[in-house]
Amino acid sequence: MKRLLTLVLLMAFVACQQEAPQINVSKGQLASKTISDYPSTLSAWGFFEEPLSNLKAKKELIPYDLISPLFSDYAQKTRFIKVPKDSVINYQETEILDFPIGTVLIKNFHYSEAQLGEARIIETRLLVHESDAWKALSYVWNEEQNEAFRSLSGASIPLELNGKKGQKIAFNYSVPNEVQCKSCHEYQGKMSPIGPKARQLNHKFAYGFKYENQLAHWEELGLLQGLPAVDKVPNMVNYFELREDLDLRARAYLDINCAHCHRREGPAKNSGLYLTYQEQDAYKIGWNKPPVAAGRGSGGMQYALVAGEPEKSILYHRMASLDPGVMMPELGRKLNHEQGLDLIYQWIKSKKQHE
Amino acid sequence: MQKHFLFYLALILLSACGKKPPIPENNQEDWLDIQADLQKLFIQAKDSSTIEIPAGHYIFKKPLLLDGKKGLTLKGAGPEKTVLSFALQEEGAEGLKISNCENIVLKDFSIEDAKGDNIKATDCQGIRFSSIISRWNGEPKEENGAYAFYPVLCKRVILENCIAIGASDAGIYVGQSDSVIIRNNEAYYNVAGIESENSRWVEISGNIAHHNTGGILVFDLPGLTQTGHSTKVFKNQVYENNYRNFAPAGNVVATVPPGTGLMLLATRKIDIYQNEIKDNKTIGCAIASYKIVEALAGGKEETNLGRNVALAQDDQEYDPFPNHISLRENRIENSYSFPSLKSDFGWLFLVKMPFNTPDIVWDGIRPPQGNFSLCTENADLIFADLDAANDFENFSTDISPYHCVSEAWELNLNSL
Repeated sequence: MKRLLTLVLLMAFVACQQEAPQINVSKGQLASKTISDYPSTLSAWGFFEEPLSNLKAKKELIPYDLISPLFSDYAQKTRFIKVPKDSVINYQETEILDFPIGTVLIKNFHYSEAQLGEARIIETRLLVHESDAWKALSYVWNEEQNEAFRSLSGASIPLELNGKKGQKIAFNYSVPNEVQCKSCHEYQGKMSPIGPKARQLNHKFAYGFKYENQLAHWEELGLLQGLPAVDKVPNMVNYFELREDLDLRARAYLDINCAHCHRREGPAKNSGLYLTYQEQDAYKIGWNKPPVAAGRGSGGMQYALVAGEPEKSILYHRMASLDPGVMMPELGRKLNHEQGLDLIYQWIKSKKQHE
Repeated sequence: MQKHFLFYLALILLSACGKKPPIPENNQEDWLDIQADLQKLFIQAKDSSTIEIPAGHYIFKKPLLLDGKKGLTLKGAGPEKTVLSFALQEEGAEGLKISNCENIVLKDFSIEDAKGDNIKATDCQGIRFSSIISRWNGEPKEENGAYAFYPVLCKRVILENCIAIGASDAGIYVGQSDSVIIRNNEAYYNVAGIESENSRWVEISGNIAHHNTGGILVFDLPGLTQTGHSTKVFKNQVYENNYRNFAPAGNVVATVPPGTGLMLLATRKIDIYQNEIKDNKTIGCAIASYKIVEALAGGKEETNLGRNVALAQDDQEYDPFPNHISLRENRIENSYSFPSLKSDFGWLFLVKMPFNTPDIVWDGIRPPQGNFSLCTENADLIFADLDAANDFENFSTDISPYHCVSEAWELNLNSL
């Protein structure tokens, strides 16, 4: 009897063992070459004065910002543009401005002392306009904060943010590999910038003590041509500007966070869910639209958006998820954007059935 | 040699019938991490080159992405030898993703346990999947990824000699694509074994789809980049597709009744011939309009359904009714006396057609204009016209209106 019991226990033990096999992961190697098409260090580009970590740009770099930026795990972003000498940007009304070949867009991702306990620059991403397409490069900053090194295959950087209630929020900040960049930066199959559209740039920026419309400023510098009168240029609301219309705020948020893929020309066109600021078709925006290839992303719900019912809306569910197989966006987010979620919640809630 | 091979194949197939395939497990303990190196190779690969992944068990935390390459071959040392696992995946919605490529060949490896889809290929011109096993280990469950193989928005696709296991949507799925050949594959323990959706000029042949919820599906959904038509489904073995439906609700396949052999949804110009459709408990071949799926998917949420139907109708291109369907020389058999009672349809057939579950079922919802054309060459099939739009009022089992020979047509696959 006792022996039987032991046997049963042993069998149960073996069964448990089989259910959760021990996994040992060791480093493997595949032969690969080093590449030399672009500098391997950020300093070699000569964008910034020493010390590099001040991000004090040389004169030919123009700082800019966006009205409604993409959420990237609460990272702050400092952006610059470098347009080659004697070249000019052509104005475009709804899509990315027509940047000349040789343009470099420079975006630094950093956290403040309040956020991290010490100010730290994490990475600097470049978009370089080559002759036939854009090329994405990422430079990861070292701990000394005196150099950033090109990363081809991406990186995971463990960080701990200070939460609002004094709690620590630990996560792995993800530096994308160079193809991952294109997972978002794709327009009609080609690498493309996302942010610098007229509607995103059309507001005032502080140039030293001068507070000036960015597009007008670029025109003044001779960098931009074809700019119509400023009141003819589209603009977008800031999604956190409470005085603005809730619908426009939500649409601005969805535009910058989702519409680079979710548009007719983007990589998620197969979903039929289109979220650009201009989209007018309620079904395409997701109202009562069943999912197409969402898999378990549907969370058991029927429609992308259900008026008045954020808890029954797949779009909200996927924005609130941290599961890689469910969450949206698929990349560039490891944390929930509480304010963004709140905005979308309010927006769905505000809609009435049969509106 | 050839003869022997065929004999053994027949033997294996015969013995496979009725017997449940084993649940796949991977108890490998030691894994290698080659994420950075392999991704680097993908990025640096020259056009027309070959990337070989040697035999070994490799585990990844992030997706592997290949973009904008031409003529590239990615090959392992064999499906049981080179195993790519995404069981520890922390980011990305697919295991391997191929985008904006031309003439890519993927072959001779296994891929497992991605958090989303195992292999997705999007916006590719020319892609061939060959001798790949794509699966989720363990008991099939809702948490598994949606698609084991997922070419979408592609032109010229060949998927052959592959095995798909455990997808919570479709094992082999092709969506919004043109000129597609899906041949000689095996799919089991998926919700849908093989599914073609909104695709044109598709050939599905020589496959074995068994122990899924539904064997082979040809669907057309509204609001997408293109609508599908012109599909031939032939010489497939479709048996024992009686597995429970474990698709997350909201997805269209969640409406497929367990025990479905073939299902056609709102699609046109479909030729189904020389298939063996056997022991699928509920329906041999279902022919449905999008209307009934909407009604089923909407379920209790009546408030939205009407509006959704109205919106779907706004899609000028979309026709929610199936049409121009021919079934010929198929063997449709069912040795089960009772349908699977895990769906309303099972109950319906139990009541309306006791001990006589139908070989062919049409929801009976006719297009408001024009003809509905369905031809079945065999008149001895058990048939049901549900008249679903009128609460089954004129439920009919009379096949004679559809006993006809349809016009033959050629499938012109674009220079594969």
